Amino acid sequence: MIDFIQTTLDGLSIGSAYALIALGFTLVFGVMRRINLSYGPSIMLGAFAGTWAFVTLEAQPWLVAVVTIAGTVAVGMYVERLCFWAIRKDAAIASMVSSFVIWMQLEEVATILLPGRTYPYPELFKFGGIDIGPYFLRMEHVTTLAVAMFMLVVLRLLLYRTRFGLALRAVSESSEAAVYMGISPVRITFWAFVFASFIGGVAGYLLLAADQQVTPYFGLWATFKGLIAMMLGGLGSIPGAIVGGLLLGVIEAHTQWYLGNAVKDLTAYLVLFLVLVLRPGGLLGQGIVERHAQAFRRI
Amino acid sequence: MSEYAISIASNMGMIAFVALSAYVVLVVGEISFGQQAYFGIGAYVSGMATAMWGWPFGFALVLGSCVAAIAAFAVGALTLRLRGLYFAIATLCFAEMIRLGLNSIHVQVEIDGEPVGPDGAEGFGDIRWMFEHDVTTLEYMFIIYALLGAVLVVLLLVERSNLGAVIRMIGQDPLLARSQGIDVGTCKLLVIVFSGMIAGLGGCLYAHFATYIEPNVFNVMLGVHALAYGLIGGLGTALGPIIGVVLDIGFLEGVRAIQGYRMIAFGGLVAILLIIMPRGILDEVRIHHIKRWLRRQ
Amino acid sequence: MLEVRDLVTVYGAIEALKGVTLSAKQGEITCILGPNGAGKTTLMYSIAGILKPRSGSVSVNGREITGSSAPYALACGIALVPENRLVFPSMSVEENLRAGAFRRLRGDRSAVLEDIDKAYVRFPSLKRRRDQAAGTLSGGEQQMLAVARAMMSRPNILMMDEPSLGLAPLVVSEVFSIISQLNKEGVSILLVEQNAHKALQIASHVYLLDQGRVAFSGTPGDIGEDDIIQRAYLGSKAA
Repeated sequence: MIDFIQTTLDGLSIGSAYALIALGFTLVFGVMRRINLSYGPSIMLGAFAGTWAFVTLEAQPWLVAVVTIAGTVAVGMYVERLCFWAIRKDAAIASMVSSFVIWMQLEEVATILLPGRTYPYPELFKFGGIDIGPYFLRMEHVTTLAVAMFMLVVLRLLLYRTRFGLALRAVSESSEAAVYMGISPVRITFWAFVFASFIGGVAGYLLLAADQQVTPYFGLWATFKGLIAMMLGGLGSIPGAIVGGLLLGVIEAHTQWYLGNAVKDLTAYLVLFLVLVLRPGGLLGQGIVERHAQAFRRI
Repeated sequence: MSEYAISIASNMGMIAFVALSAYVVLVVGEISFGQQAYFGIGAYVSGMATAMWGWPFGFALVLGSCVAAIAAFAVGALTLRLRGLYFAIATLCFAEMIRLGLNSIHVQVEIDGEPVGPDGAEGFGDIRWMFEHDVTTLEYMFIIYALLGAVLVVLLLVERSNLGAVIRMIGQDPLLARSQGIDVGTCKLLVIVFSGMIAGLGGCLYAHFATYIEPNVFNVMLGVHALAYGLIGGLGTALGPIIGVVLDIGFLEGVRAIQGYRMIAFGGLVAILLIIMPRGILDEVRIHHIKRWLRRQ
Repeated sequence: MLEVRDLVTVYGAIEALKGVTLSAKQGEITCILGPNGAGKTTLMYSIAGILKPRSGSVSVNGREITGSSAPYALACGIALVPENRLVFPSMSVEENLRAGAFRRLRGDRSAVLEDIDKAYVRFPSLKRRRDQAAGTLSGGEQQMLAVARAMMSRPNILMMDEPSLGLAPLVVSEVFSIISQLNKEGVSILLVEQNAHKALQIASHVYLLDQGRVAFSGTPGDIGEDDIIQRAYLGSKAA
């Protein structure tokens, strides 16, 4: 029983990072109805910029965080302009493929910046963890979970309490009608992208600081973990992204504990496949397949 | 031809199979992130057939592509209700399950005192049909291109037929197709099975060319590349994905001047291409113009 | 007042407007009739800054707005109620109204809230459904919401694209009575309609648009209703 709960806690810890990444995905998908495959790689490049500052300039950990997040946002802006803003609105597949070739580009930039395979990444806290009874929690994981919950609250306030959020939801429901209200979908999309990149940068920093290392594979990993978590919870649903992320983390932790590492990823894909086949809208989705799954539904 | 040129040309030919299989799914209006799985299934099954069971090469090709087609049928039937991103991610899940599953498959038999067969993540070596039958790489390249040519001819004939028109209509507007009395589900399933078969055939060829295969060759990167080729070359004709493959592999290997920066150059060029031509170089409209021009000549 | 001069708008390879001149006077209901493909919707989009005209000019109260952006046209007092209403389906009725006042939300929030209350007085059925998702409203209610939402920007000129489309006859009458009521309160109306009979009853001035040109301009009394209807539906060649 202790093992079970400890494993669940570990799963929630890693799951909160998945949830953050899925949150960024959801934000962009909700407003654009398009998939940004280079979301993970842009976080990776931001992290490489951070670790470059750490390795060559011996930057302080807080500065590494700033460089990572700022780098991710800058790369996100580049991707948005090139792969989404510049491409015709009705060409969603072109945008996706474009974001994929830019992914290849970002990976090469990262290897030019730092040609090795693995680099150290400064940790967030020197103190290790906290004990609650028989359970052990690493401080980094507690922080990640807290940040994920904080971001969820911030995002909900942003979407439902601000003028920007109103415009964002209007664009995501009908960008044509939003134009008649004097809202500029181009501008809203851009800022949604920037905000999603910011969330991604924060998620990337927390994850890598816990791992204390970064590799170019982080891009692939983040993109597909984020996609899976988003689809698991329900496409375009913000609480769904959180639930999907946490669930993915817990599933992975348990299968790893009971069935071993080889089965871990397999189970995650199997669960998602079954969810898609049996309940295509995702767990918190609408349960029906719609070409334009409605985004940002209330909890 | 130098060995290097032959290996590049053979590679282009084999990757073209995956690109074509991703393309036919795109034409019917869906995005698949999973065509690499059929490629992998074809590679493993045909490799086992020749290396472990001593089957003739031709039978192994048929078996490999048929097993891949059966797998595609299963996936297609399960995901028939799904559209758009749901379909894309479901196919991704399937492909990753296959890849991870191959990581833990250990089926080996002893041949001449050596274990032969898939050995999980260690891969599957000694698929030595080419050496055992004294087939040169040049001859093998001709086999690849003969089969690729056959597949292309079939695809181009289908595209000219009524079935081709029906498939394009489903891709453009499935509701309209349904209102015309077309059985959309069956047509889609047919296309998906055919796409699995093409990719499987490519995989068979790949296994015997490479002689060593491992699960990680068939990762999602291969599938997304295959998708990209179709979109670069154009969605208007089956020649589109071929153009995409030639541009990518030919360009990357051909232009030595950009060594070390080639993905930066290639990524940028393709991104700009997609801004100007969102459905690729040879899209439907351009194909229509070309056909009209040819008819006038 | 709204003044449109020699407006030419090209839509892909098609010249949808081939030099349209018309004006909508302050406080009047100006009605544009015409067969499908005459360029009515294109005209509205060109006025509202959604399509960029190739040549010609659009001005409001002497202010030139040709080829400006949609937000600028809105700021100059032109609001558009689009065809098929296009409410935001999963946002609540009240959120739809707030979105209508998007440009004003930066400053006078309290005035926006007052206007929402006024909209509820005008449309009591919307008040009952204020927290309901707009997509669950009936067609007539959605049309009311679309009008109320457009009014939230406090326009001088309200442009309406086929407000009676797909509505039951009884609801159509209700929509038209609201249009004339808004007009009595001082809002100028530019109305595009297929329902020529209803439109002619409330219009002060009628334009007939055919193949991108003005084929007729005058008051409903200048021309027999039958003649207008025939030309509006069948085009000028049949008349």
